[in-house]
Amino acid sequence: MRRAVAPLLALTVALVLADSAVVTLALPAILVHLQTSVGQVAWVLISFNLVLGLVAVPTALLYGRGQARYLSAAGIAVFAGASAWCAVAGSIDALIAARCVQAVGGALALLGCLELLVAVYGERRGVTTWITAGVVGTAVGPAAGGLLTQAFSWQAIFVVQVPCAVLAVPCALAVRAVPVHVPDRHRPAVRPNVALALLSAALTAALFLLVLLLVEGWRRSPATAALTVSVVPVAALAARPLARHLRPPDQVEVAVGCFLIAGGLVGLAILPSAELLWTIAPQALIGLGLGLAVDRLTSQAMLLRLPRVRHAGWSIGARHLGVVLGLAILTPVFTVNLYDAQVPAQEAITSLVLDAPLQPQDKVAVARALGDELTSQQGRIPDLHRAFATLDLDPAERPAAAQLERDLDAQLERAATRAFRDSFLIGAGLALLALVAVIAPRRRVTS
Amino acid sequence: MNRGPSLLALPAVAVILVGSVLGVQLAAGGASYAPLHPADPCAVRDVTSRAAGIDGLTERLVLLGLDGAACRLHVSREALTLELARPGPRSDAEVAALRAGLLSAVQRMKADGTLPPASAFVDQALDSSDLNDLLKIAIRALPDSVVDAALPTDDVLTRTIDDLDLRALLANLDDQRGLDQQLEAAVTQAVQDSLAARLHDLL
Repeated sequence: MRRAVAPLLALTVALVLADSAVVTLALPAILVHLQTSVGQVAWVLISFNLVLGLVAVPTALLYGRGQARYLSAAGIAVFAGASAWCAVAGSIDALIAARCVQAVGGALALLGCLELLVAVYGERRGVTTWITAGVVGTAVGPAAGGLLTQAFSWQAIFVVQVPCAVLAVPCALAVRAVPVHVPDRHRPAVRPNVALALLSAALTAALFLLVLLLVEGWRRSPATAALTVSVVPVAALAARPLARHLRPPDQVEVAVGCFLIAGGLVGLAILPSAELLWTIAPQALIGLGLGLAVDRLTSQAMLLRLPRVRHAGWSIGARHLGVVLGLAILTPVFTVNLYDAQVPAQEAITSLVLDAPLQPQDKVAVARALGDELTSQQGRIPDLHRAFATLDLDPAERPAAAQLERDLDAQLERAATRAFRDSFLIGAGLALLALVAVIAPRRRVTS
Repeated sequence: MNRGPSLLALPAVAVILVGSVLGVQLAAGGASYAPLHPADPCAVRDVTSRAAGIDGLTERLVLLGLDGAACRLHVSREALTLELARPGPRSDAEVAALRAGLLSAVQRMKADGTLPPASAFVDQALDSSDLNDLLKIAIRALPDSVVDAALPTDDVLTRTIDDLDLRALLANLDDQRGLDQQLEAAVTQAVQDSLAARLHDLL
């Protein structure tokens, strides 16, 4: 039991922080299952991050007054119960409410696990384990959610969290953390927290928009998208050995991390085709940047600052409000761009149909079927295969029609990829702002 | 031996990595990966058709006519096609541009020698017509040179386009039967007028 305590507490930290983006790939399935709108389903993602960001600091105040193990056990239990509620939610309102409760329990659990891990491992190792678990959870979340959605259902994302969290409750109670009521000695670390918020907003572009591009724009399955975006956590794991090998100063490591994330997002903005392979290198840059910058910034925001739990609350608040900021900035931009992409996409489709090597009557039939399909899927990227499947073509015409379908799909992929470009570039801009926040000269204090 | 912190190694690695990734993507066309850009409708375009006979001629005429109309309206051929496919009334400018575009298409095909002689369409036209069988046999017996001299293709097409009620035709795009009837009536009238004009010239 004692051996399992710290790993299970670290797993709880990873689970709570994975929940920040775990539903990204499940949003289309939730939209269909709960018969809701795109605007409402986005709140499944936003509500968790908003509530977690807002309650993190007030929750930290509770830890100054109560026993860490009881508070964290209660938080983990609330998180487990709310996860179960999410899995059985029958309406979008119930799901959003459950996600809010999940975030409140998650905030209690996150801060409690920090105190308990420090009690088990000591200050430095405990904080490092807590930060690493958080980075891994954040990076793995979208991929894990996509795989579970594809293999089972969107509810499976929440079901698997319940036993893990339930097991962590006795672990939390088993740690005999000594409650140390430390006076408020240090002010919040503004610079690392601002940089964390900006980087989290930038990472939203990478983790949220990339999966949307893969699933909605390029019509890849959630499992394929999940496997593709798993490059980010793998590259994040490679960041630590690289930093150990090159031994840069902390500020340089953080600045380089921000630069790599910005570079990776620019790479996603200038993809030369809709081949998954092209996303690998930009994602690797983002993953490396994430591994270098986020855990170092979190360390700077917390390490040797007392009370520790309060500063952890500030860093959690900064990260999750950063995610909300990213969603608030990027969602309208890519929605408008997706809408604007309809005209060039329709013109490209028209051009290809007019010049297609088909008999005139077949061209007219294709044009009619495509027109019906485009009209019925207003606001979404259309699935042209249905239009071609309904056609009654002469067998001799089928190869030309199949080639036309491939060419039209390629045009849609081009239009969708182009529609996401501005959002990725804005994400890169946010990462560069984080870089500026890190390297901007400090104000001299004159006595 | 312990090494001290290296100030430049990690930034150098990062610059190389980012530079390489972005360089390769730009070299592979990342900056220009966008939907197909519509071609300039005023530029000369080669137009072909998989169909033979009247269908092939009609398709080539319509494609060239769309180019000409779009050029006159200062829009792309694709934008004009999408506009014409939408339900609703057509503006005078659109109808006039389409008629002028179709007439230009006839002249262009005549000039570049891609306008087939009328004799090439006689059999297909007679098959689908409701003329008396004896009359059909008589017309089929005529030498091609006589048919071509009596009915210059460009003259028939020009008369057809002039006679066509394009506004009504555009309003009936979804009604294939109505379209066929309207076209057949316009072509028949144009053939009669063309023949009358030839006779008038002879007399």
